[in-house]
Amino acid sequence: MGTSVQVKPLCGVYNENPLAYLVSVDGFNFLVDCGWNDHFDASLLEPLSRVAPTVDAVLLSHSDTLHLGALPYAMKKLGLSAPVFATEPVYRLGLLTMYDHYLSRKQVSEFDLFTLDDIDSAFQNITRLTYSQNYHISGKGEGIVIAPHVAGHLLGGTVWKITKDGEDVIYAVDFNHRKERHLNGTVLESFVRPAVLITDAYNALNNQPSRRQRDQEFLDAIMKTLRADGNVLLPVDTAGRVLELILILEQFWEQHKLAYPIFFLTYVSSSTIDYVKSFLEWMSDSIAKSFEHTRDNAFLLRHVKLLINKSDLESVPDGPKVVLASMGSLEAGFSHDIFVEWVSDTKNLILFSERGQFGTLARMLQADPPPKAVKVTMSKRVPLVGEELAAYEEEQNRIKKEEALKASLIKEEESKASLRTELPVNDQMVLDANNTHSSSNAIGQRSEAFRDVLIDGFLPPSTSVAPMFPFYDCSSEWDDFGEVINPDDYVTKDVNIDQMLMPVDGELAGKLDEGSVSLILDTTPSKVVSTELTVQVKCSLIYMDFEGRSDGRSIKSILAHVAPLKLVLVHGSAEATEHLKQHCLQHVCPHVYAPQIEETIDVTSDLCAYKVQLSEKLMSNVLFKKLGEYEIAWVDAEVGKTQNGMLSLLPLSSPAPPHKTVLVGDIKMADFKQFLASKGVQVEFAGGALRCGEYVTLRKVGDASQKGGSAAIQQIILEGPLTEEYYKIREYLYSQFYAP
Amino acid sequence: MASTGQSLTSLKKREAATANNRDGDQLIITPLGAGNEVGRSCVYMSYKGKTVLFDCGIHPAYSGMAALPYFDEIDPSTIDVLLITHFHLDHAASLPYFLEKTTFKGRVFMTHATKAIYKLLLSDYVKVSKVSVEDMLFTEQDINNSMERIEVIDFHQTLEVNGIRFWCYTAGHVLGAAMFMVDIAGVRVLYTGDYSREEDRHLRAAELPQFSPDICIIESTYGVQLHQPRHIREKRFTDAIHSTVSQGGRVLIPAFALGRAQELLLILEEYWSNHRELENVPIYYASPLAKRCMAVYQTYINSMNERIRSQYANSNPFEFKHISPLKSIENFNDVGPSVVMASPGSLQSGLSRQLFDRWCSDKKNACVIPGYVIEGTPAKTIINEPKEVTLTNGLTAPLNMQVHYISFSAHADYAQTSTFLKELMPPNIILVHGEANEMGRLKQKLVSLFADRNTKIITPKNCQSVEMYFTSEKMAKTIGKLAEKVPEVGETVSGLLVKKGFTYQIMAPDDLRVFSQLSTANVTQRITVPYSGAFAVIKHRLKQIYESVESSTDEESGVPTLRVHGQVTVKQESENHISLHWTADPISDMVSDSIVALVLNANREMSKVVVESEPVGSEEEDARKAEKIVHALLVSLFGDVKFGENGKLVISVDGNIAHLDKQSGDVESENEGLKERVRMAFQRIRSAVKPIPLSA
Repeated sequence: MGTSVQVKPLCGVYNENPLAYLVSVDGFNFLVDCGWNDHFDASLLEPLSRVAPTVDAVLLSHSDTLHLGALPYAMKKLGLSAPVFATEPVYRLGLLTMYDHYLSRKQVSEFDLFTLDDIDSAFQNITRLTYSQNYHISGKGEGIVIAPHVAGHLLGGTVWKITKDGEDVIYAVDFNHRKERHLNGTVLESFVRPAVLITDAYNALNNQPSRRQRDQEFLDAIMKTLRADGNVLLPVDTAGRVLELILILEQFWEQHKLAYPIFFLTYVSSSTIDYVKSFLEWMSDSIAKSFEHTRDNAFLLRHVKLLINKSDLESVPDGPKVVLASMGSLEAGFSHDIFVEWVSDTKNLILFSERGQFGTLARMLQADPPPKAVKVTMSKRVPLVGEELAAYEEEQNRIKKEEALKASLIKEEESKASLRTELPVNDQMVLDANNTHSSSNAIGQRSEAFRDVLIDGFLPPSTSVAPMFPFYDCSSEWDDFGEVINPDDYVTKDVNIDQMLMPVDGELAGKLDEGSVSLILDTTPSKVVSTELTVQVKCSLIYMDFEGRSDGRSIKSILAHVAPLKLVLVHGSAEATEHLKQHCLQHVCPHVYAPQIEETIDVTSDLCAYKVQLSEKLMSNVLFKKLGEYEIAWVDAEVGKTQNGMLSLLPLSSPAPPHKTVLVGDIKMADFKQFLASKGVQVEFAGGALRCGEYVTLRKVGDASQKGGSAAIQQIILEGPLTEEYYKIREYLYSQFYAP
Repeated sequence: MASTGQSLTSLKKREAATANNRDGDQLIITPLGAGNEVGRSCVYMSYKGKTVLFDCGIHPAYSGMAALPYFDEIDPSTIDVLLITHFHLDHAASLPYFLEKTTFKGRVFMTHATKAIYKLLLSDYVKVSKVSVEDMLFTEQDINNSMERIEVIDFHQTLEVNGIRFWCYTAGHVLGAAMFMVDIAGVRVLYTGDYSREEDRHLRAAELPQFSPDICIIESTYGVQLHQPRHIREKRFTDAIHSTVSQGGRVLIPAFALGRAQELLLILEEYWSNHRELENVPIYYASPLAKRCMAVYQTYINSMNERIRSQYANSNPFEFKHISPLKSIENFNDVGPSVVMASPGSLQSGLSRQLFDRWCSDKKNACVIPGYVIEGTPAKTIINEPKEVTLTNGLTAPLNMQVHYISFSAHADYAQTSTFLKELMPPNIILVHGEANEMGRLKQKLVSLFADRNTKIITPKNCQSVEMYFTSEKMAKTIGKLAEKVPEVGETVSGLLVKKGFTYQIMAPDDLRVFSQLSTANVTQRITVPYSGAFAVIKHRLKQIYESVESSTDEESGVPTLRVHGQVTVKQESENHISLHWTADPISDMVSDSIVALVLNANREMSKVVVESEPVGSEEEDARKAEKIVHALLVSLFGDVKFGENGKLVISVDGNIAHLDKQSGDVESENEGLKERVRMAFQRIRSAVKPIPLSA
């Protein structure tokens, strides 16, 4: 029997939630991807929490939050302790992405789901692999080989190939077959007939304009805004698609000698670009080539300035500029702050290069028509002063004292119970359990609070995993003087408004990452103050697809080419999933699965196999015929046994029985036409058939596109009157096949 | 996957082997260079019709064609893959020649860093040697062309070309240096290139492959020598320099521009930062490549060790504070003590030689040779500290400067080699890249080391082939419908044997499309044959030939059909045509051919009458002709036939006379018997000559 394979989605099926799937290969559990959304919604991870301890290995495919965001949290809180595998860029850029998230969050909230240390420790035990490196798993998964392959989409993006006993399980989500400025296209198409293919339906309904046209529109929109004295905000991810945008802008600015400043603003922008510079091996051939020839590193940026602090941006003289800032969801990070500042100016442009995650501000703004006004929360971290500081210090002292007391108590107890050492251990465990319990409670509350703020005016049912798209009522009333304004909306509810507006002191204006990090990491007591306000959306909003994923049509043709024996669809709206499923059932293979969350599906191939040894005697009589990269022969053999009990094939002692003839070969009408033409036969296509010479016609019947179907053997009909030509053409036709 | 553990190897037992093995099982390894010498590394390997060439270097001690490996020994067009381990001239410099000037049409692979530096280094080599060598092997343009053809491979990345699988491991030695593991049909060969198992300031140590190879082709540069520990060498190095410059002397460090030079610069930089008193002594890195190679070293940080990578997080460790680049000797302000690192390392020409000539007679100065020096080069000469040296201008000068030889070249020493081989346990070891004496000594020591094991150690000379036989078992996987039941001994298995690369699968024809990209096809043939006779005639005749002829009628058109041999359907399409319909396979094709022949035959028999009657021009002629025939036939029957009056024929047989009226056929004769016979004969003749009554 074949290798047993089960797939169990933990998150991200029938919707666009983050990706996390459990793939068991002969009982060895792979967690492929471990994503989280920009809200860090802990409820999404519930299915993961139930299986986390049983995971034997984690495979990461891309460096963005949706693919690896939950790793630190799962490692810390959910008991995930398996080794992690990723490519070097996914490891490095993923780490930076998580840093950026943490710093953005910490700046505006009491973020406590994970800390920088948690991120570090989670990423520490990542085993880095290079593309097409065959990694042999040892121990429990003996015999399983994993190998990352180029996926496109993001730098280091991976299509995972898990092989056991010659059967391939391929996990390919968010791939891009098109070659881009900095990335090569995916190699997914080079895999044929894998046992199982797990892929996403995210883009199944999407169609893209040509790259040239899209780039042109993108640059036109930006230039139009800049020339009209407006600012352009590009909400981007930390270290993923932004690289492509930077290259587009760099190239255009270089060509046209533009002077408008471009800023790349994230907490980790300079480290990002530094590392990206050393990842040339992972980028497209053209980038590698230009480096080999001219020593010009494509990411030696001449026009894009790297900023890691918003105050640096504020110190830039006024005037039109382009800012690329994280996060793409506008939920946090610099993009959020800049958005609030710029949104109400009609001259400005906010250009989204990717679809926002569900329920985020970005998604809301991408709706058509966009809302006229949105509520946002402005938060700031400020150091404690005066009474609060005193109160904090008191609290800290109290905690310290308590701890000291506890410690001394434990010590006492230990010394008391020096003979019964188990007891204190037990006590400690109870203590620990309590701690974790309370903290997880806190997380729950935390995320609740988040949701309330972010999806204003909308309470998701507690049972729903993914909140519905928020309905925002643009029912602004108008009177003779314009829109009716409720002054209360603009009154900050927090009394600390004065503090908030205080100029940011030197502490904040730190250098590089250390500055901002130090603020967050330093022990200076600080707190977060938030204000809610409604801003009018007056600036232009544009969404252009720079996601770098294959479009629906290409996905379908790639799937048809790969032609897996079994196909599992994940990640994508219910509609898209259903659409792709129906399409694949018809055109790709008869076994298409789209499981629900926590539904385990068995995709074990119903394949039988056994191994035999080919004896030298048999092989010396076998005449192979070469067909492409295959060599093929008919064998009739008798089964024998070798000394060590292996089955072996020996030549038959009696004459071989007759067997039904098979014609092996794949004939393409167009190719055959050329072949005939080269032989001097007059050929032309007429009414779906190939007309050869005067009277002979050749036609192919049956649905050739249905590759996966078992019944679809090519049917070729050769028709004609009795002529010499008929036999000549038949001979040519036979020459295209091999009949063993 | 073929198994490697079980493979039996027999070395040079050709007489025993030839009987059982076919040519394909013979593995040949031939050093075309670097066999019992150092330089022009190039090792040829061939197995099962697949051919791999490792490295493509030149010999630095020779020039022109003499520096090339013995390419004449092989047919370059047969080579599938060429693998370059690292960028040093003795491993990569004949590549432009090989790519551009030979019939080689395979694929070339090297690591990213190697490719980037390869171009730098060779362009420089072309520029430098332009002055000294007339017969240039290749030009700058050839190098640029070769860049187009070189493909890159990342460490551990597994590639497959034409059934040859290969991947590479970190080799230490220099940036981007790789050891290649080649797997052909389950037989693995490891080619180490130059390697070092010692981690230094910027490079990782060579990895230990996780699979044991069947053959290990290993360098033996240092033979049985042992390196001093790294910190002692570094101390000797810095001490020698420190003492020279503090006495006001100048220090010349001849070194390869790239590779080990970076390691020395890192050492010097660190030493200078720790010794404030040296701050005023300048260090020059005199290489036209200095600046450009920096970009490469900055970029391929990921090929270096953790130490450098962690430093890189803060600042680029290759940005030196105390070391300044020096473009040429003209820019060099030679006053007071200084340290100059200059290329080339072997002092044949270039800046290092110019400085050597200038400084060699002053005993305050020093020359530190930091790497392996190749036999026959000036650097090798001065290591032996002769009294006098010959300058480039032909004059002789006393050699007064101190000469230190402190090896930093990252080659494995005996300790590293022996532990590496002990852990790897290859059953066959081939030594290359070492002077004959050193190699011999190493062989002796290894033989005694592996005495208890059946390890073969071979030291082939250039162009001397090593032949081995590997009878790897061929394993096939039976899959699909054919494998539903595992057969018992004695049962038969019939199916398609599909070979891809070196893996075999046996499957039922129906499964072919499921497990491979191949597909099967049915060709249905329909041929129409003109036939205007009765369909029943055909049926009748077919029945005479074939056992099975089933007749029925076509459901659609209602025309009669015949199914011959259960394979070919014959159908009467119209009055003038019948059609044959069958699915192509050799038997059906044959049956159909015979049917076609039969139909044509039936056609011809009928058409003969038509054809012959047509050319008859007038009726008269026709009649005359018929008369003649009738006459002739009657003559043959009865002998004496004469023309009588009224167009009657007079037939006389044995005295009996009969009169035959040709028009009516009436016969008059006295003899009844004759009368009757003539009448019958004439009737038959007439029906033969004019079968269809003309009146009809």
